[in-house]
Amino acid sequence: MNANAVRILFLKDLYLSRHFLFGYLAGAMASAIITCLPYKALSDVGFILMITVTIATGIHMIGMLMLGDGLEHTRAFVLSMPVSVLDYSVSKIAVVLCTFLIPWSLMLGLAMMGSFLLPYAKPGVVVVLPAIFCFMLSSFTIQLVSAVVTDSIGWTIVVMVAGNVGLNLFLMNFNADPSIIAAAKSETVTWPPLVLQVLAVEWLVTLGAIALAFYLQTRKRDLI
Amino acid sequence: MKATIMPDQPPTTEPNRGEATERTTMAQLTGVTKQYQHFQLEPVDLQLPAGMVMGLIGPNGAGKSTIMRIMMGLVNPNSGTVQVLGQAMSSNASIVKQEIGYFSDDLRLYGAESLGWHMQFVRSLYPHWDQEYAQMLLSRFGLLEQQRIKGLSHGQRVKATLLLILARRPKLLILDEPTNGLDPVAKQEVLAELMQVMNDADRSIIYSSHQTQDVEQISDWLTFIDRGRVIASDNRDDFLECWRRIKLRAPESWKMPPIPGLRHESQLHNFRVLTIDRFHSRVAETLATSGAEVEAIETMTLEEIFVGVVMRGREIESR
Repeated sequence: MNANAVRILFLKDLYLSRHFLFGYLAGAMASAIITCLPYKALSDVGFILMITVTIATGIHMIGMLMLGDGLEHTRAFVLSMPVSVLDYSVSKIAVVLCTFLIPWSLMLGLAMMGSFLLPYAKPGVVVVLPAIFCFMLSSFTIQLVSAVVTDSIGWTIVVMVAGNVGLNLFLMNFNADPSIIAAAKSETVTWPPLVLQVLAVEWLVTLGAIALAFYLQTRKRDLI
Repeated sequence: MKATIMPDQPPTTEPNRGEATERTTMAQLTGVTKQYQHFQLEPVDLQLPAGMVMGLIGPNGAGKSTIMRIMMGLVNPNSGTVQVLGQAMSSNASIVKQEIGYFSDDLRLYGAESLGWHMQFVRSLYPHWDQEYAQMLLSRFGLLEQQRIKGLSHGQRVKATLLLILARRPKLLILDEPTNGLDPVAKQEVLAELMQVMNDADRSIIYSSHQTQDVEQISDWLTFIDRGRVIASDNRDDFLECWRRIKLRAPESWKMPPIPGLRHESQLHNFRVLTIDRFHSRVAETLATSGAEVEAIETMTLEEIFVGVVMRGREIESR
């Protein structure tokens, strides 16, 4: 692998996505701040906005950076240069993950800080937020794998829709669990076993999906 | 009118064999095949010596782009080997591509970015980038660095892409239909620049098109491809020198003497047209002594030769 080529390609894609990335960062910041407001209705709206921004960032970055090269025929331009399939794949997967993780970690960080620091917030919410955000991260990485495997917007959208339906089912079940309800309302941070189990599964899925995406992308015989 | 197709002869695909052994081989394809759902590239053997321009001529869908993508390492062949600049493309593609410039009709630049941004991007990957030459090409092609790609016309986009390729100073240019859709002036500008590139004897170009005039203008060696098969390959001048259309009159009972390289014969009563690919002045004498009256011996354009070769190949295939 040529580290310099990977770096150049990574920075190129980061530059190409800069306008959208700033937009999503602004959206992430705004929705996290709204979530931390002392009014339940606004806080709920802020939470829904955070989920929306996370899903939109994932869809947009996969579409633009991963699938866009094929659709816009710019992949041939990049691969006609001294770049191997491995360099190209590493830079693509890294930049898509990075552009998703920047607003994702900003929202998660701000929401967790707000829960800890704001006098009217319940610190117990801190244990719920990572499980929900990591579910969205797992869902995103599965979408990434589907984009790599199919190279098709249609199939990737199908997986995205399935991921969003899955998120709704997850939220309904997860938030209804008595141990989660109790932990979220608690004035102290306690980690119920269910949260730890869910987090373990989510990280397993996330890491497995990223590894699979790398494996499949680098094994492709033809990229054009 | 009656037409007879003569038996096919295997194409020669090694340009100037003697010369090739002396010169460095820039690219060599051996037994390369590629299978798609609705297309098969049959075993291809090609050799491109340094300093030569090879024109790949074929109808749309003949397999020209597939061959070029395989040469670039963008598509992996199902079988066969590809050596470019002395290295196996399968294992050293990213190193070899330092010395190759590839243009394809379906290769696009980033529409929202400027030509200057593209120049910087390409420059960052090519240590041999020639900024002075790039500036000269900008002015010669009438382009501006600050122009966004999406604001350029088709001709300007082609020139912009060629600028990005030529300023790398590649040893090998792989150009897939570079003059497609260009107006005559833009086409001449592009062809003139390519001929300029060939002033350096160590450079080589492989150039595909279905427009025979463009290929004829710059190529030393021609390879005809149809339906995934190399059907003929020869020196351009030999193609043009050896192919002749002979019009003659002879009685219907006339028995034609053996003519070397006879490719096609058509007859309407006592008027006959022969197409031959190994013309020699003795052919006319042979025909005259056999009782035929030769009315005309005509040279053929590359397009006529190409169409003749393709049609003959297809007729033989359909038998």
